[in-house]
Amino acid sequence: MRQLLLIFSILLVPYLAVAQEEYDTKDWARKGLHIPEVAVYGNRPIKEIGTQQTKFDTLALKENISLSMADVLTFNSAIFVKSYGRATLSTVAFRGTSPSHTQVSWNGMKINNPMLGMTDFSMIPSYFIDDASLLHGTSSVNETGGGLGGSVKLSTKPAQSRGFGLQYVQGIGSFKTFDEFLRLTYGNDHWQVSTRAVYSSSPNDYKYRNHDKKVNVYDEDMNIIDQYYPVERNRSGSYKDLHILQEVYYNTGKGDRLGLNAWYINSNRELAMLTVDHGDATDFENRQREQTFRGVFSWDHVRSNWKLGAKAGYIYTWMAYDYKRDVGNGTMAHMTRSRSQINTFYGQVEGEYYIGSQWLFTANLSLHQHIVESEDKNIVRQDGNKAVVGYRKGRPELSGSISAKWRPIDRFGVSIVLREEMFGREWTPIIPALFVDGVISERGNVIAKASVSRNFRFPTLNDLYFLPGGNPDLRKESGWTYDTGLSFAVGKEGVYSLTGSASWFESFIKDWIIWLPTPKGFFSPENIKDVHAYGIELKGDLNVALAKEWQLGLNGTFSWTPSINVGEPRTPADQSVGKQLPYVPKLSSSVTGRLTWRSWSFLYKWCYYSERFTMSSNDISLTGKLPPYFMSNISLEKGFTFKWADLSIKGAINNLFNEEYLSVLSRPMPGINFEIFLSITPHFK
Amino acid sequence: MAKYIRLTCALVLILTTSCMKWEYGIEEEFDTSASGEGLFICNEGNFQYGNATLSYYDPATKTVQNEVFYRANAMKLGDVAQSMIIRDGIGWVVVNNSHVVFAIDINTFKEVGRITNLTSPRYIHFLSDEKAYITQIWDNRIFIVNPKRYEITGYIEIPNMTMESGSTEQMVQYGKYLYVNCWSYQNRIIKIDTETDTVVDELEVGIQPTSLVMDCNNKLWTVTDGGYEGSPYGHEAPSLYRIDAETFTIEKQFKFDFGDWPSEVQLNGTKDKIYWLNDDVWEMDVTADRVPVRPFLPYNGTLYYGLTICPRTGDVYIADAIDYVQQGMVYRYSKDKELLDSFYVGIIPGAFCWK
Repeated sequence: MRQLLLIFSILLVPYLAVAQEEYDTKDWARKGLHIPEVAVYGNRPIKEIGTQQTKFDTLALKENISLSMADVLTFNSAIFVKSYGRATLSTVAFRGTSPSHTQVSWNGMKINNPMLGMTDFSMIPSYFIDDASLLHGTSSVNETGGGLGGSVKLSTKPAQSRGFGLQYVQGIGSFKTFDEFLRLTYGNDHWQVSTRAVYSSSPNDYKYRNHDKKVNVYDEDMNIIDQYYPVERNRSGSYKDLHILQEVYYNTGKGDRLGLNAWYINSNRELAMLTVDHGDATDFENRQREQTFRGVFSWDHVRSNWKLGAKAGYIYTWMAYDYKRDVGNGTMAHMTRSRSQINTFYGQVEGEYYIGSQWLFTANLSLHQHIVESEDKNIVRQDGNKAVVGYRKGRPELSGSISAKWRPIDRFGVSIVLREEMFGREWTPIIPALFVDGVISERGNVIAKASVSRNFRFPTLNDLYFLPGGNPDLRKESGWTYDTGLSFAVGKEGVYSLTGSASWFESFIKDWIIWLPTPKGFFSPENIKDVHAYGIELKGDLNVALAKEWQLGLNGTFSWTPSINVGEPRTPADQSVGKQLPYVPKLSSSVTGRLTWRSWSFLYKWCYYSERFTMSSNDISLTGKLPPYFMSNISLEKGFTFKWADLSIKGAINNLFNEEYLSVLSRPMPGINFEIFLSITPHFK
Repeated sequence: MAKYIRLTCALVLILTTSCMKWEYGIEEEFDTSASGEGLFICNEGNFQYGNATLSYYDPATKTVQNEVFYRANAMKLGDVAQSMIIRDGIGWVVVNNSHVVFAIDINTFKEVGRITNLTSPRYIHFLSDEKAYITQIWDNRIFIVNPKRYEITGYIEIPNMTMESGSTEQMVQYGKYLYVNCWSYQNRIIKIDTETDTVVDELEVGIQPTSLVMDCNNKLWTVTDGGYEGSPYGHEAPSLYRIDAETFTIEKQFKFDFGDWPSEVQLNGTKDKIYWLNDDVWEMDVTADRVPVRPFLPYNGTLYYGLTICPRTGDVYIADAIDYVQQGMVYRYSKDKELLDSFYVGIIPGAFCWK
């Protein structure tokens, strides 16, 4: 009986957590934030033995509707978010690796672009994500292969509503930015239905003083008589993004749950001009459009000591890139017209089997079949006929794993994962991962963790087949990663809670793929680098009841991530060996502070990235300098509760100190800007 | 309570400390008029990063100054510095993805003017003080400009060329005619009448002719890269062509092996020898009937990306782009193949210009 209770509690823990988060977000205005009892070591899920994981709570994910997952990760984790501007490509990278070393899943289905390998997090509205976690380094092997840096797990979940529900949020911000969010829910004992929609639009023409360029003032003879740094607007940076998410869940109440998630994206974004562009914005159009549909159907069958799950999914992506210029009389002619379509079919089965409270066995098999059609350029052949430069390829990606997790005593656990992958016709060797954890001290719940794994990442379809430049002879990247760390948790329910962790990691990556220019004028990928990435990650979380109705929450992260090129010199003059990889910060940190009083909430967000080198030699030139990056945002929210509805009003200030800064060379970021959000949640009784 | 508030205030103060300034440049004064001979190096920088730079090398003192445009003007050169020429003490630097050609004083490096709003400029050629042509990629037009007024004054439309696969490159003048090699997804040299600004003839060569020069005998030289594997335009063994400028006919075709990547055809000062890159550095008399068996400088592990010959001394300068994301290295050899100097410049040194 005791064993059954324990198994039941193990299975129930995630659902209790869900319920807690729902409580946090919906009722904080009325009841204030709740400081939970700290988790004791005995409650550690056996599934998570030895894993290094960062989970995001609903407060972070649902902070405001204008945020993308890129924004959430920037201010709530220490992984590196490389942003090319507001509502522009944003990629994330763990522990000194590259964005394509981060595997991303949504409801279990991999959503990395199979052509590029990476994921654009600016295209994922955080309001569409109910559950997000980072699996650092080796821990990603539990979920997928190829995450040489780690993986990001995103998912939705039932709203747990009863009857009809509605939430509408309107956001209005600087630069004529409008964000609208609508959610309709319906739920009863068996059904949970939810429809969410987000529409964001802005000309995004923020002003900045251009330090990279001067405007000339000429006299009549065209002699320069004056020069000045112009105040320019972000030229050609507008965007219109629509997201619709439909979810239907059915719970039999007898251990079976069915789910259907369908997400449609329609994005139309201009690509902003560089600071060093001397073209007239009205004469050029540089635009990227995307339509994506992602759908996942899932079935979970849960019994007292085993669980079976199956998923089927489909992704369709259409992307268009148009670069045009006015050739006179307002006629815009294509300089580049590229189109690509991706069809991905997905299937997955997984099972879990508990033997007593000490053993858990899992097995997982997933298949992603990609069919890609890339048309990059229209040309006229030598015979005068038209032709398209591009490629059409398909590739199955199979990934399977089995694991055994053993916790002989409450204080100690060990887990072994064996994974194997096949991309196309090529198999990886067995990918092993070993995890252990143990309680060092019951006082303070001090837990030690360690893990080691091998991993591989296959070249992307563009790496192999893109025309021109694709290199079908590329080898897959491979790596070993080691992790070890300590965590603790102390607290008193309703008074305070303090948790923290520190971990050390080390990765050796061989055959790192990099695209380089060729003498023929195009880029081509090569396996050129061996990289040794290592460092420290620290996390801390403090919640304190300061006084009656006053509560303070502080959350901080810090990473030190040297990522060193340890390959052979490329030529005798190569100065990059032994140096930090370009565009990878050695230090990064974030702090979020939330102060609440009754139905008021004040939020302070801060993030930091150390200087990023723009050259592999780590030399800092006058034209290639990216100084350390600090950012501070604040917001103040007031909630109102009436019989007929919950209302809230929130004001936010981004870039509080109006810093003039760059995240990437020649890409200016906006100065101080403001947003206001109004939210209404009617009560249907 | 007060303790917590003090703690919070202290934390906020620490977090709001800032040091992330996007800096302004500081103008430096240069005067290289005394040095006489000098070599400008256009460092392309990385596409879309706006980190192109201009370096200046004094062969007499063997000293190099990097980022001279930025240091003299306190602003960036731009995105992808493609080429440079000098006319009457003014250097014209073509910055491809910045849609601009800068005019600079070649002794002080100070800007004296700029031609803007070009499509994707590659090279500039002067016909007179008030008329020049600027070739483009991704445009089927050559822009006609007035360099005195820094104005675009007209266009030459290239027949049988679409905007999207448009490509005109290097220009060589013979009398009133101008010859231009058409490179990307092209296979021809076009002939322009500079009095009427029209294309009057064209000559088909191999796939993708990359460079164009004219020797002491009024023979044009171009080298093709042969395209690439899988290209719908075709893929063939590259060739070096000698073309008679007067008759506009191919005199000689020197075939390379399939898969070779020859590029960067250059002349020495007397224009009686041509040089090119094909892994190694090659040298050949302009009257030769065969390509030499041995290279002028054999491949030694460097990634040769740019090449120039000193017009006075015959010294050979070769640029090594290394991994394309660090300062490239320029090697200087005497015409007797002795290494005289080497110096670091900017990212991806691709083009040279002699003062």
